[in-house]
Amino acid sequence: MNRKLTSVVLSLVAVVVFFLLIVQIGAMINPSLKLDQTATLRFVFVIIGLLAVFGVYYFTRENSMLEVGTRQVVYMAIGAALYAVFSYLFNGTVFVVPSVSQVALRPAIAIPMFFGYAFGPAVGLFTGAVGNMFGDALTGFGLSPQWSVGNGLVGMIAGMVWLFEDKKKSVNTVLIVSAVLAILATVIYMLNPGTANMMFFDPANNIFGDATISVFAAISIVVGFILVLIIRFAWGSNFNLSAAVTWSMLGNFIGLGFAAISDIWINGYPPAVAIVGEFLPAAGPNMVFAAILVPILVVAYEAVQRQTGR
Amino acid sequence: MLVTWRYRNRNSFLQSLDPRAFLIFYACYIGCTVLFWDLRYLAVLGGIAILAVLASRIRWSEMRRAWLFIGGFILFFSFLTFLTGRGGIELYKTEHLLRSYRAPFTILGWRPELKITAERSLYALSMLVRVFSLASMTILIPYTLNPALYGVAFRGLGLPDKIAYGMDLTMRFIPTLGRDFSLTLDAQRARGYEIEKLSGGLFAQVRKLAPLIVPVTIHAIVGSEDIIDAMDLRAFGTGPRTWLEELHYRRRDRLVIGCGLALLVVSVVLSLWGFGKFWVPGFLIQ
Repeated sequence: MNRKLTSVVLSLVAVVVFFLLIVQIGAMINPSLKLDQTATLRFVFVIIGLLAVFGVYYFTRENSMLEVGTRQVVYMAIGAALYAVFSYLFNGTVFVVPSVSQVALRPAIAIPMFFGYAFGPAVGLFTGAVGNMFGDALTGFGLSPQWSVGNGLVGMIAGMVWLFEDKKKSVNTVLIVSAVLAILATVIYMLNPGTANMMFFDPANNIFGDATISVFAAISIVVGFILVLIIRFAWGSNFNLSAAVTWSMLGNFIGLGFAAISDIWINGYPPAVAIVGEFLPAAGPNMVFAAILVPILVVAYEAVQRQTGR
Repeated sequence: MLVTWRYRNRNSFLQSLDPRAFLIFYACYIGCTVLFWDLRYLAVLGGIAILAVLASRIRWSEMRRAWLFIGGFILFFSFLTFLTGRGGIELYKTEHLLRSYRAPFTILGWRPELKITAERSLYALSMLVRVFSLASMTILIPYTLNPALYGVAFRGLGLPDKIAYGMDLTMRFIPTLGRDFSLTLDAQRARGYEIEKLSGGLFAQVRKLAPLIVPVTIHAIVGSEDIIDAMDLRAFGTGPRTWLEELHYRRRDRLVIGCGLALLVVSVVLSLWGFGKFWVPGFLIQ
């Protein structure tokens, strides 16, 4: 057993001991102090989640796909720097690009997607996470760990295309998964304004929902998805292109979905608000960028590869 | 286009800390805030956040933009939660009505009604305090952490050498890429490209951003070959790496880390015993 594994096991043992101690000491001080059920459950889930992440890391670290050499380090750094600079510039600090409805133009997301696709999941993960961190540091917004992880996931999943031997099969799998997710999100949006609140029926939410999260932002998810479908079948001969776009799309859903949903626990947003207020306005437009900018980057990069011979 | 960092040397207490200590405290703080819904407990954590902001000596004018953006966000969500009461349903079962407003008009035979209940108000307030405390601590980081120390700090927290160096390399590239971007923008402008006047629908606008983004990206990738060679020639990655700046823990750092961990442990224990759940003051329920 190597050092890392040993330390994880030791920490686990410590946690269990800690648990037992609380139960004992609590009972001694005040007989009515018992372990609260929901809190214990949540605690256990967090520990299991952390273990799962560690497990994935431990079992995949020998995989050559995750190998980080000089080349990967430099690509990571460039990707993160590009993402940071573009986020900073397009966040409205330097110039305001005219935006449609409330969809602020944030094309920077195409960078982690492209870097993940072109250079692998490790590069994608770093580009998204660190790029987001530095971009937020530059803008001065403050570093939110869950959004950094979410952006990192966008890049990492876009890079998962390297796992598949047959790019065509991978693309089809992704399309099905993404279709399900897109439908789910839109259904939740549709359901929420219509759901009768137990206390009182509130079209106040209806009116509110339409004014602030314009229907356009919500539908842009479906629009983006349709765009990707079109690309997949229009450029059917160029699998690289369709693979890049579909994996970027999936990464977008999962990464930003993770960030928005973790906000339910961290910031305490109600689930409906997290999905409609954070996920849809961010993920939807990102799909459009994935569908339009990533293919352009892929084609340009392929041209460069032909030229330099690497 | 000047891409500048927000960090400035302010001789404040927070800046005198080892960055690792502050990051650890920040992580513990998030862990604590997540556990509680009771306004009294949240207020204590909020107080800590306010103390931290005051100890950072950042002027309001510097932070203003971040606060306005995040503040608007927070207020919007609190207001939305207050109106709809959603999300609070999991925290409270019965509601005590304080006041009810009926609209004087009807929409399609239905009369809009706004119910202000004790539970809903407290829930909105608790959420406001919670999000505010978290936002305060997150905003502090860009202003108090020296970007030159990011790599070393994360290395000290256990990240592998190469990844930590990647962060330093990122920092080194940011001004270069900012300058490249500026050059590209000017070159495109000379060819008639006007970014302020992008027209067309959403798709057309996005497509028209390509002449800016693609050249900078590809140029950066192509230029990286030289950098990769330079690093390889200097035996990058063949042995453990040393850093120019060295981080050492001092007494105040250990204190801060100790406080953070103690806070976390106490919070976990309290929440496991069932304290800190959603609370409504007694006088409102009468």
